[in-house]
Amino acid sequence: MDDLTRLVAEAEAEVATAASTAQLARVEAAYLGGKGALQAQLKTIGSLPKEERPGFGARLNAAKATVLASIEARHGDLAAVEAQERLAAESIDITLPGAPPLLGRIHPLTRTIQQVKSVLIGLGFRIVDGPELEDYAYNFAALNYPEDHPAFDEQMTFYVDDTRLLRTQTTALQGRTLRGARLPLRCATVGRCFRYEAVDATHHHTFHQVDVFMVDEGVAMADLKGALKQFAGAMFGGDVQVRFRPDYFPFVEPGVDYSIYWQGRWLELGGAGLIHPNILESHGIDSERYSGFAFGLGIERIHMIQNGVTDLRWYLANDLRFLRQF
Amino acid sequence: MRLSLEWLEQHAPTGMTADEAATTLTMAGLEVEETEESDLGPVLNIKVTPNRGDCLSVVGLAREMAAAARKPFVDVAAAGTPDGGDAGSLVRVTIEAPDLCPRYAARVVRNVTIGESPEWMQRRLSAAGMRPINSVVDITNYVMLELGQPLHAFDLPLLRGSAIRVRRSKPGEAITTLDGAERPLAEGLLIIADDERPVAVAGVMGGADTEIGPKTTTILLESAHFDRKAVRRSSKALGLQTEASYRFERIVDPAGVVRSLNRACDLIAELGAGVPVEGVVDAYPGAAPVGTVTLRLARVSQILGFDLSADEVQKSLQALGFEVTECEGEALAVQTPSWRPDVVREIDLIEEIGRVVGYGRMPEKLPSGATTQGGDSDLGRQMTLAREVLVGAGLTEVVGHSLVAATPLDDDGGERVAIRTALSSELSGLRRSLLPGLADVLARAVRRGQPQVALFEVARVFHEAPGGHTETLSVGALLHGAPANDAWRSADRPAPPDFYTVAGLAQALCAAFKTGPPAMRCTSDGRFHPGRSAEIVVGDAVIGVAGELNPAVAADLDLRERAVALELSLAGLVAAGRRTMGFVEPSAFPGVTRDLAPRIAADTPYQAVRQAALDAAPATLEGMALTDVYSGPNLPAGTRSLTLSFTFRALDRTLTDDEVEAAMAAIRAALERECGATFVA
Repeated sequence: MDDLTRLVAEAEAEVATAASTAQLARVEAAYLGGKGALQAQLKTIGSLPKEERPGFGARLNAAKATVLASIEARHGDLAAVEAQERLAAESIDITLPGAPPLLGRIHPLTRTIQQVKSVLIGLGFRIVDGPELEDYAYNFAALNYPEDHPAFDEQMTFYVDDTRLLRTQTTALQGRTLRGARLPLRCATVGRCFRYEAVDATHHHTFHQVDVFMVDEGVAMADLKGALKQFAGAMFGGDVQVRFRPDYFPFVEPGVDYSIYWQGRWLELGGAGLIHPNILESHGIDSERYSGFAFGLGIERIHMIQNGVTDLRWYLANDLRFLRQF
Repeated sequence: MRLSLEWLEQHAPTGMTADEAATTLTMAGLEVEETEESDLGPVLNIKVTPNRGDCLSVVGLAREMAAAARKPFVDVAAAGTPDGGDAGSLVRVTIEAPDLCPRYAARVVRNVTIGESPEWMQRRLSAAGMRPINSVVDITNYVMLELGQPLHAFDLPLLRGSAIRVRRSKPGEAITTLDGAERPLAEGLLIIADDERPVAVAGVMGGADTEIGPKTTTILLESAHFDRKAVRRSSKALGLQTEASYRFERIVDPAGVVRSLNRACDLIAELGAGVPVEGVVDAYPGAAPVGTVTLRLARVSQILGFDLSADEVQKSLQALGFEVTECEGEALAVQTPSWRPDVVREIDLIEEIGRVVGYGRMPEKLPSGATTQGGDSDLGRQMTLAREVLVGAGLTEVVGHSLVAATPLDDDGGERVAIRTALSSELSGLRRSLLPGLADVLARAVRRGQPQVALFEVARVFHEAPGGHTETLSVGALLHGAPANDAWRSADRPAPPDFYTVAGLAQALCAAFKTGPPAMRCTSDGRFHPGRSAEIVVGDAVIGVAGELNPAVAADLDLRERAVALELSLAGLVAAGRRTMGFVEPSAFPGVTRDLAPRIAADTPYQAVRQAALDAAPATLEGMALTDVYSGPNLPAGTRSLTLSFTFRALDRTLTDDEVEAAMAAIRAALERECGATFVA
């Protein structure tokens, strides 16, 4: 066995037994480094006969390549193991609680209002806003309330003076919107209403309503029924049935209250009907050519149904233990 | 109205059970709120809407019931009384206010014996919620329930001059009503008087002076039609609502006046309570108008959205007592019955048809007109933006009351909008500020032992102003205590909020609305700590206030830590906001950052330092940040050291060291000159 063969064998043995990449690096230096054993063989080339020099050179290069290949292969193995060990050493208790981010949240009524708006906007309705401190005229007179009629008794009102009151219904905005409106029109308004009611689980002096109305040629009660089915389906999910029951609101004729059949029961949602032609005409709209529907419902009621909340008072109580759940 | 099923069945023989009857009435628009048991069997409690006074009677409800069930309606048969007779010579009826009383009829009953009414009548009255009193009173009440016409019995000999005068009350008049209360009468109320004094408040309640009793021998029975507004005015003026006033305020059939009177006399005779004198005194200045409405068949289908046959339309209307007098092709002339003055237009008839046919038959369609563009309102979008900023900052939204008491925290210096005749201080006016509502939530959280809160509200506030009130959207926030977030690493625990927390929220809101950075100016708002509060100025407009709550104002909140609050006008944010779109192109070249640490007198506001630096900096200054404020024993008393970090960058080239050094030198010189800054070499 000549020196080269022996050196390669020794080197491979040391590579095979190297236990770490650091040890392997020392092996590499010992054989392939500038002062390494194989590198040293280069110096012997001068003492060889001229005709053997090319052959020896080729063998030396082959020997170095062999050792280098072994080192690289071994390095791959060792590095993988060492990476594993390093990661293992860095492991932490992943069951400790996460750092709580500082999360804000919107009020459940806001969330419901956003959902209502989003459904209505998708159906082509434009959201409009009106004052909560409203003119008597828009809240009652413009909505076809007969003068000095018991219909007022159903809406005990907070008056500021003879002409200003807190709106008892978001329907008050219809007059403001219809005045000079370009037709066809689909509008909706969401907001706060006030009635002088004793506060209990289903009544509050302050509550929120959405009022939806459209005016176009040939709008019929059947269109209202279809629109309600679509709206209620989007709000509550699933296939809902809509039922009308005659009811009286001065601003619609025919007037109904509507219920939906949802999860095995009928739920009364609100009032609806075709906008009274007296109202359309008072805004200069030809009630022969145009008709319109309107429907309304309580925002609190929607959220109560969706979440099984049984007491309306939670919404304005702002108990953070309640708010955090939504 | 409460009504026993057996009484209803007498006039609308449907053979239905109580549940079936309740459903039928409810689906016809007469909601049965509950059904109770009585010794007469089931009693229905029916909610009658204010437009349907005619249904405050057995015949009215029976007519609806029969129409809905497609069964015949059996009316009450009332024998007429021959004209003439003595009645006219026994009483004198004068209507002095024909505008408020179009008709007044009276009959006289002699040989009256006041006893008990028969048991069947008492039971029906009790089932309807009325207390049996005596035979005559019970009969008048019974006829009112049956036909809807309120009646009243006077002790005739007690009527001075045997006279009935229907007139307006005069100044100073008063009456003791049947309930024993002495009531002064405001001038101009519709009353019944004899020749000397008021004897009844028309349509509301009779007087005690002429009340019938055990000694009564002769009575005058009144059946009249009173103006609904006149009765409502009296009822409200006296604070007295009765079965009679409730009906008159809605509607009583003007054509039923004499019929009801005769029906009562028939019952009196039949039950042996007295002997009616022949003849009716009927003061009838004006004939009840007859309404005729034209109905187009095509319009019925168009409005309801499905097709109905002419026959079906006619039958529906006839079942409710409407008469179709002419049928010319597509158009019907429909005569409205006297008890339905609420039906005046074609659309009213169409509703009646829909009710009788039943909305269950109506298909579900979708509006098929032109497409319309949906979208949120400007206000809606602005509120959403404000909410996003504050939710992003970790605050929880609350929804507070618009109606509040006048408290120091509500007093923002503006004038309050007060509610007229408020029933309680909590409902006495509209809020001027969102802070009292937020403080209220905090106070309750404190009482529950969870006093760490970070709250906000976006809602309307109200101010009275000379030319009318204002109603504007406001953004309010209130923070108290470090959020209790259960973090086990101290680094994850947020610091307790202070002035700079709310100032930061104000800056974030200004950034979101693109107003440019707000300036903080000292405020004299007494709700806040005088040394730790500021009014927030954008451009030259004050748009809000921020700071620590004044301990005196917060005293009743029982706080252990300082509370900080912010209130900004949303309109102010919007008005100051930049509306034009645009963007700044990010540079592809590297930036250079240099720090400067001037020592400056502690009472020099940072804002002055910042302004001096900005004014001196070249256009290549991309940003300036304050990274530290130090004051301590290493510094001369009354001074502090600020660490300012400047970043320079150009859009078109890499800046040279010389350029940056020149800029820093300029800033440094400006700080020395403008703010008396010194620098440690």
